[in-house]
Amino acid sequence: MNEGDSDLQRFERVVLPHLDDAYTLARYLLRDEHDAQDVVQEASLRALRYFDGYSGGDARAWLLAIVRNCSLTWRKRRRVDDRTVPFEDAAPISTSEAEAPDAAVMHASEQARVQQAIESLPDEFREVIVLREVQDLSYREIGDVVGVPIGTVMSRLARARKRLAVLLQIDAREAS
Amino acid sequence: MECDTCQAALEARLDGELTADEAREIDRHLAICPACARQFATLGETRRVVSENAMRYNAPDVLKARIRGAVARASSPTVSVATRRTFRWWREVAAGVAIAIVSSGITLVAANRSAGRSSAADELLASHVRSLMPGHLTDVLSTQQHTVKPWFNGRVDLSPAVPNLDKAGFPLIGGRADYVRGRVVPVVVYGRRQHMINVYAWPSSSAGGSPPDDLSRNGYHFVTWRSGGIEYWAVSDLNAAELHTFVAMFVAAH
Repeated sequence: MNEGDSDLQRFERVVLPHLDDAYTLARYLLRDEHDAQDVVQEASLRALRYFDGYSGGDARAWLLAIVRNCSLTWRKRRRVDDRTVPFEDAAPISTSEAEAPDAAVMHASEQARVQQAIESLPDEFREVIVLREVQDLSYREIGDVVGVPIGTVMSRLARARKRLAVLLQIDAREAS
Repeated sequence: MECDTCQAALEARLDGELTADEAREIDRHLAICPACARQFATLGETRRVVSENAMRYNAPDVLKARIRGAVARASSPTVSVATRRTFRWWREVAAGVAIAIVSSGITLVAANRSAGRSSAADELLASHVRSLMPGHLTDVLSTQQHTVKPWFNGRVDLSPAVPNLDKAGFPLIGGRADYVRGRVVPVVVYGRRQHMINVYAWPSSSAGGSPPDDLSRNGYHFVTWRSGGIEYWAVSDLNAAELHTFVAMFVAAH
């Protein structure tokens, strides 16, 4: 670590390279573009303020942990009501009515289905899925970010994936 | 291997979190158990569909700019960490500037010890605090001395020293032209942790050099010295000892 860094330089060096990932995580956790921007700003400032406590290691996972904590605080503060659907009510998300022959349209509709499926997950499942499938973190890193043991990461991932399989109507019987 | 044991490890197998031995054991079971194999295939397909189709967002440029501004503001000594209500923040800074100016005015009246130096310090203090407001710190933002030094050409009528002090832990932040003591002067900006150091320069009334001299006011420290017919003033909320170290490095480097 460079002792004489100014905050601005530290921002450029430590935070900026991971800002897209930070923003992506915040978008998924808060499901709102503007809230995500505010939270990423807050998290970046907090990261710089607590930079002395950063022990090295993966700066991205460290920043994501701060983004996640800021998102939780944000949600509590704003009392965003939980928009998740209880598991019993989860229904498969169908593709649009008209069968789209165009590959690009198919891809777009597949993206929309996946997006909808991820967004419908309860917070604790959604965060592990995003950290794993979108951010590509290891179990240990996810455990550090979320603050749970690796066993909990595994069981949440398993439940989240089962649920996504139902929502996206994925079953290997048909696939194979 | 029991199916229960296998199924508990399927996620880890899929995510590459098992040791080679553990993975082999799972694979052996998958080869002979259609139920577990199907579950594994479903998991794998779910993972593929989700990771290939999930949105990755790019942080908007305006967000990057906002954070840069907020970082600069948070580094300012008069302001606590920025809140998202910008207008409130502006008021805080405006108040900070007013307080700095008024209280130094009072100091000036109370102890008119050395009028010239004192009034210079007052003006510099106001300029220093003002420079910490968003967008006021630098006109040219660069950590390269070769960018900052030529930038002053044609903007001010003297060429200040812009030594590279990175190795000493005082990175160059940039430069700006400011209006102090009745003239446009070059200001070179350095950083030290969260602190900013403004180095002002103007033509000295007497040629030659003089050793550093210091004073402090309202928690800010000032060090002034002369070199090559230029009078320099370094202003910062950095502690006096570190500011002296900075000046020693600065003088030694040019």
